[in-house]
Amino acid sequence: MSYFSDPDARAIIREAYGRVHSDGFGVASAFYRPDELEGLPRGAVELSLGVGHPVRHAGLSPGEIVLDLGCGAGIDTLLAGQAVRPGGRAIGLDMTEEMVARARTNAAAAGLANVEILFGLMEAIPLADASVDVVVSNGVLNLSTRKSRALAEAMRVLRPGGRISIADLVLEDRLPEDVLKSPAALAG
Amino acid sequence: MLTKKFVNVGFEEIALGERRPFGFDDLRRYPLFSPEFLDILRRVMPPQRHDELVYGVVVTARKPREGAASAVPSARSQPSQEDPV
Repeated sequence: MSYFSDPDARAIIREAYGRVHSDGFGVASAFYRPDELEGLPRGAVELSLGVGHPVRHAGLSPGEIVLDLGCGAGIDTLLAGQAVRPGGRAIGLDMTEEMVARARTNAAAAGLANVEILFGLMEAIPLADASVDVVVSNGVLNLSTRKSRALAEAMRVLRPGGRISIADLVLEDRLPEDVLKSPAALAG
Repeated sequence: MLTKKFVNVGFEEIALGERRPFGFDDLRRYPLFSPEFLDILRRVMPPQRHDELVYGVVVTARKPREGAASAVPSARSQPSQEDPV
Protein backbone atom coordinates (compact mmCIF):
# COMPACT_ATOMS: atom_id res chain seq x y z
CA MET A 1 0.00 0.00 0.00
CA SER A 2 1.20 3.51 -0.82
CA TYR A 3 0.27 6.67 1.02
CA PHE A 4 0.96 8.75 -2.10
CA SER A 5 -0.80 8.96 -5.46
CA ASP A 6 1.25 8.30 -8.59
CA PRO A 7 1.59 11.99 -9.56
CA ASP A 8 2.33 13.07 -5.97
CA ALA A 9 4.99 10.39 -5.56
CA ARG A 10 6.66 11.36 -8.85
CA ALA A 11 6.61 15.04 -7.90
CA ILE A 12 8.19 14.33 -4.51
CA ILE A 13 10.88 12.12 -6.03
CA ARG A 14 11.64 14.49 -8.92
CA GLU A 15 11.96 17.39 -6.49
CA ALA A 16 14.15 15.45 -4.03
CA TYR A 17 16.44 13.90 -6.64
CA GLY A 18 16.59 17.08 -8.71
CA ARG A 19 18.15 19.04 -5.87
CA VAL A 20 20.14 16.30 -4.20
CA HIS A 21 23.75 17.18 -3.55
CA SER A 22 26.57 15.09 -2.23
CA ASP A 23 30.24 15.78 -1.89
CA GLY A 24 31.46 12.47 -0.58
CA PHE A 25 31.95 8.87 -1.58
CA GLY A 26 30.07 7.59 1.49
CA VAL A 27 27.43 5.56 -0.30
CA ALA A 28 29.59 4.36 -3.19
CA SER A 29 32.40 3.15 -0.95
CA ALA A 30 29.94 0.90 0.89
CA PHE A 31 29.11 -1.11 -2.21
CA TYR A 32 31.81 -0.75 -4.87
CA ARG A 33 35.47 -1.77 -4.84
CA PRO A 34 38.02 1.08 -4.98
CA ASP A 35 39.29 -0.16 -8.35
CA GLU A 36 35.76 0.03 -9.77
CA LEU A 37 35.38 3.64 -8.63
CA GLU A 38 38.84 4.72 -9.73
CA GLY A 39 38.04 5.12 -13.42
CA LEU A 40 34.66 6.79 -12.98
CA PRO A 41 33.87 10.52 -13.05
CA ARG A 42 33.62 12.06 -9.59
CA GLY A 43 30.08 13.28 -10.34
CA ALA A 44 28.83 9.73 -10.87
CA VAL A 45 30.49 8.38 -7.74
CA GLU A 46 29.42 11.20 -5.42
CA LEU A 47 25.80 10.90 -6.47
CA SER A 48 25.69 7.16 -6.09
CA LEU A 49 22.48 6.62 -4.11
CA GLY A 50 22.04 2.90 -4.58
CA VAL A 51 21.58 0.21 -1.98
CA GLY A 52 23.68 -2.61 -3.44
CA HIS A 53 25.70 -3.66 -6.48
CA PRO A 54 23.27 -5.13 -9.02
CA VAL A 55 25.82 -4.98 -11.86
CA ARG A 56 28.10 -7.39 -9.96
CA HIS A 57 25.24 -9.89 -9.77
CA ALA A 58 24.19 -9.44 -13.40
CA GLY A 59 27.07 -11.48 -14.84
CA LEU A 60 27.52 -9.14 -17.81
CA SER A 61 29.41 -10.26 -20.92
CA PRO A 62 30.88 -8.33 -23.86
CA GLY A 63 28.31 -7.63 -26.57
CA GLU A 64 25.27 -7.51 -24.29
CA ILE A 65 22.73 -4.69 -24.16
CA VAL A 66 21.97 -3.54 -20.61
CA LEU A 67 19.19 -1.27 -19.36
CA ASP A 68 19.61 0.54 -16.03
CA LEU A 69 16.22 1.57 -14.62
CA GLY A 70 16.41 4.83 -12.66
CA CYS A 71 20.04 5.38 -13.54
CA GLY A 72 20.46 8.58 -11.52
CA ALA A 73 23.86 10.12 -12.15
CA GLY A 74 24.86 6.93 -13.92
CA ILE A 75 27.29 4.95 -11.79
CA ASP A 76 25.77 1.55 -12.59
CA THR A 77 25.15 2.45 -16.24
CA LEU A 78 28.82 3.37 -16.61
CA LEU A 79 30.00 0.17 -14.90
CA ALA A 80 27.67 -1.82 -17.18
CA GLY A 81 28.98 0.06 -20.22
CA GLN A 82 32.53 -0.91 -19.26
CA ALA A 83 31.56 -4.55 -18.66
CA VAL A 84 29.86 -5.12 -22.02
CA ARG A 85 32.68 -3.76 -24.18
CA PRO A 86 33.44 -4.55 -26.91
CA GLY A 87 30.25 -4.63 -28.88
CA GLY A 88 27.77 -4.07 -26.05
CA ARG A 89 25.72 -1.09 -25.00
CA ALA A 90 24.38 0.31 -21.72
CA ILE A 91 21.20 2.38 -21.62
CA GLY A 92 20.33 4.46 -18.57
CA LEU A 93 16.73 5.53 -17.98
CA ASP A 94 15.63 8.19 -15.49
CA MET A 95 12.52 10.31 -14.93
CA THR A 96 14.40 13.29 -13.45
CA GLU A 97 15.69 15.78 -16.00
CA GLU A 98 18.53 16.86 -13.72
CA MET A 99 19.73 13.27 -13.30
CA VAL A 100 19.50 12.61 -17.05
CA ALA A 101 21.70 15.65 -17.65
CA ARG A 102 24.18 14.56 -14.97
CA ALA A 103 24.34 11.00 -16.31
CA ARG A 104 24.97 12.26 -19.86
CA THR A 105 27.74 14.53 -18.60
CA ASN A 106 29.28 11.64 -16.64
CA ALA A 107 29.07 9.24 -19.60
CA ALA A 108 30.86 11.80 -21.77
CA ALA A 109 33.48 12.39 -19.07
CA ALA A 110 34.05 8.63 -18.81
CA GLY A 111 34.59 8.48 -22.56
CA LEU A 112 32.05 5.68 -22.92
CA ALA A 113 30.58 5.96 -26.40
CA ASN A 114 28.48 2.85 -25.82
CA VAL A 115 26.39 4.50 -23.10
CA GLU A 116 23.10 6.21 -23.88
CA ILE A 117 20.88 8.01 -21.36
CA LEU A 118 17.12 8.24 -21.91
CA PHE A 119 14.44 10.29 -20.18
CA GLY A 120 11.39 8.28 -19.18
CA LEU A 121 9.50 6.21 -16.65
CA MET A 122 10.31 2.66 -15.62
CA GLU A 123 6.56 1.99 -15.71
CA ALA A 124 6.54 2.89 -19.43
CA ILE A 125 10.00 2.08 -20.76
CA PRO A 126 10.63 3.81 -24.10
CA LEU A 127 12.18 0.73 -25.72
CA ALA A 128 10.90 -2.00 -28.02
CA ASP A 129 9.84 -5.46 -26.86
CA ALA A 130 12.70 -7.97 -26.41
CA SER A 131 15.35 -5.33 -27.12
CA VAL A 132 17.74 -5.78 -24.16
CA ASP A 133 19.69 -8.70 -22.69
CA VAL A 134 19.89 -7.52 -19.08
CA VAL A 135 17.96 -5.12 -16.84
CA VAL A 136 19.61 -3.72 -13.72
CA SER A 137 18.33 -1.24 -11.16
CA ASN A 138 19.66 0.08 -7.89
CA GLY A 139 17.47 1.43 -5.10
CA VAL A 140 14.78 2.63 -7.47
CA LEU A 141 11.98 0.08 -7.60
CA ASN A 142 10.94 1.02 -4.06
CA LEU A 143 10.28 4.57 -5.30
CA SER A 144 7.55 3.38 -7.66
CA THR A 145 3.93 3.28 -6.57
CA ARG A 146 3.44 0.71 -9.38
CA LYS A 147 6.20 -1.81 -8.78
CA SER A 148 4.47 -4.68 -10.53
CA ARG A 149 3.94 -2.48 -13.59
CA ALA A 150 7.66 -1.57 -13.59
CA LEU A 151 8.63 -5.25 -13.37
CA ALA A 152 6.19 -6.11 -16.18
CA GLU A 153 7.83 -3.46 -18.33
CA ALA A 154 11.26 -4.90 -17.55
CA MET A 155 9.92 -8.30 -18.61
CA ARG A 156 8.58 -6.83 -21.86
CA VAL A 157 11.85 -5.23 -22.97
CA LEU A 158 13.97 -8.26 -22.04
CA ARG A 159 14.66 -10.79 -24.77
CA PRO A 160 13.61 -14.39 -23.97
CA GLY A 161 16.17 -15.79 -21.55
CA GLY A 162 17.26 -12.27 -20.56
CA ARG A 163 18.29 -11.49 -16.98
CA ILE A 164 17.31 -8.96 -14.34
CA SER A 165 19.31 -7.86 -11.29
CA ILE A 166 17.57 -5.49 -8.89
CA ALA A 167 18.96 -3.97 -5.69
CA ASP A 168 16.28 -2.56 -3.47
CA LEU A 169 15.24 -1.82 0.10
CA VAL A 170 12.72 -4.09 1.75
CA LEU A 171 10.94 -3.98 5.09
CA GLU A 172 10.70 -7.05 7.22
CA ASP A 173 8.63 -5.31 9.88
CA ARG A 174 6.19 -2.54 9.24
CA LEU A 175 7.36 1.02 9.87
CA PRO A 176 5.19 3.33 11.97
CA GLU A 177 2.53 5.16 9.96
CA ASP A 178 4.09 8.58 10.71
CA VAL A 179 7.22 7.44 8.94
CA LEU A 180 5.43 5.84 6.00
CA LYS A 181 3.47 9.06 5.38
CA SER A 182 6.64 11.16 5.24
CA PRO A 183 7.76 12.41 1.80
CA ALA A 184 11.36 11.98 3.02
CA ALA A 185 10.76 8.29 3.58
CA LEU A 186 9.28 7.93 0.10
CA ALA A 187 12.16 9.72 -1.60
CA GLY A 188 14.74 7.84 0.37
CA MET B 1 7.08 -9.75 -0.96
CA LEU B 2 9.51 -8.42 -3.58
CA THR B 3 10.31 -11.88 -4.92
CA LYS B 4 6.57 -12.61 -5.09
CA LYS B 5 6.20 -9.69 -7.51
CA PHE B 6 8.90 -11.27 -9.70
CA VAL B 7 6.95 -14.54 -9.67
CA ASN B 8 3.67 -12.79 -10.50
CA VAL B 9 5.18 -11.07 -13.51
CA GLY B 10 6.52 -14.38 -14.85
CA PHE B 11 10.25 -14.32 -14.04
CA GLU B 12 11.97 -17.61 -13.25
CA GLU B 13 15.24 -18.65 -11.58
CA ILE B 14 14.57 -16.00 -8.92
CA ALA B 15 17.42 -15.79 -6.42
CA LEU B 16 18.47 -13.55 -3.55
CA GLY B 17 22.01 -12.38 -4.28
CA GLU B 18 22.63 -10.16 -1.26
CA ARG B 19 20.86 -9.18 1.92
CA ARG B 20 22.25 -6.63 4.36
CA PRO B 21 20.65 -4.63 7.17
CA PHE B 22 20.47 -0.83 6.96
CA GLY B 23 20.54 1.00 10.28
CA PHE B 24 20.85 4.68 11.17
CA ASP B 25 24.57 4.75 10.40
CA ASP B 26 23.83 3.52 6.89
CA LEU B 27 20.93 5.88 6.26
CA ARG B 28 23.00 8.85 7.42
CA ARG B 29 25.22 8.43 4.35
CA TYR B 30 22.30 9.23 2.04
CA PRO B 31 21.82 12.95 1.37
CA LEU B 32 18.10 12.38 0.71
CA PHE B 33 17.48 11.71 4.40
CA SER B 34 17.53 14.99 6.31
CA PRO B 35 18.80 15.08 9.91
CA GLU B 36 15.25 16.09 10.91
CA PHE B 37 13.76 13.00 9.29
CA LEU B 38 16.36 10.74 10.88
CA ASP B 39 15.59 12.30 14.26
CA ILE B 40 11.89 11.47 13.84
CA LEU B 41 12.77 7.95 12.79
CA ARG B 42 15.03 7.50 15.79
CA ARG B 43 12.28 8.66 18.15
CA VAL B 44 9.52 6.46 16.75
CA MET B 45 11.51 3.30 16.11
CA PRO B 46 12.17 0.93 19.02
CA PRO B 47 15.88 0.85 19.94
CA GLN B 48 16.18 -2.84 19.02
CA ARG B 49 15.48 -1.92 15.39
CA HIS B 50 17.98 0.95 15.13
CA ASP B 51 20.58 -1.26 13.47
CA GLU B 52 18.10 -3.02 11.19
CA LEU B 53 15.52 -0.52 10.01
CA VAL B 54 15.30 -1.92 6.49
CA TYR B 55 17.22 -4.49 4.42
CA GLY B 56 19.10 -3.97 1.20
CA VAL B 57 18.66 -6.93 -1.12
CA VAL B 58 19.75 -7.86 -4.63
CA VAL B 59 17.27 -10.07 -6.46
CA THR B 60 18.22 -11.75 -9.73
CA ALA B 61 15.92 -13.58 -12.14
CA ARG B 62 15.52 -14.62 -15.74
CA LYS B 63 12.81 -14.16 -18.37
CA PRO B 64 11.66 -17.58 -19.60
CA ARG B 65 13.39 -18.73 -22.76
CA GLU B 66 11.38 -18.92 -25.97
CA GLY B 67 9.16 -21.98 -26.00
CA ALA B 68 9.53 -22.52 -22.26
CA ALA B 69 6.25 -23.30 -20.53
CA SER B 70 5.31 -20.80 -17.85
CA ALA B 71 2.87 -21.38 -15.02
CA VAL B 72 2.03 -17.71 -14.75
CA PRO B 73 0.58 -15.20 -17.22
CA SER B 74 3.12 -13.39 -19.38
CA ALA B 75 3.86 -9.71 -18.81
CA ARG B 76 1.21 -7.29 -19.91
CA SER B 77 2.12 -5.29 -22.95
CA GLN B 78 -0.20 -2.40 -22.14
CA PRO B 79 -0.51 -0.42 -18.91
CA SER B 80 -3.29 -1.63 -16.66
CA GLN B 81 -5.69 0.41 -14.54
CA GLU B 82 -5.23 -2.04 -11.74
CA ASP B 83 -1.65 -2.47 -10.71
CA PRO B 84 -1.07 -4.17 -7.38
CA VAL B 85 1.92 -2.84 -5.50
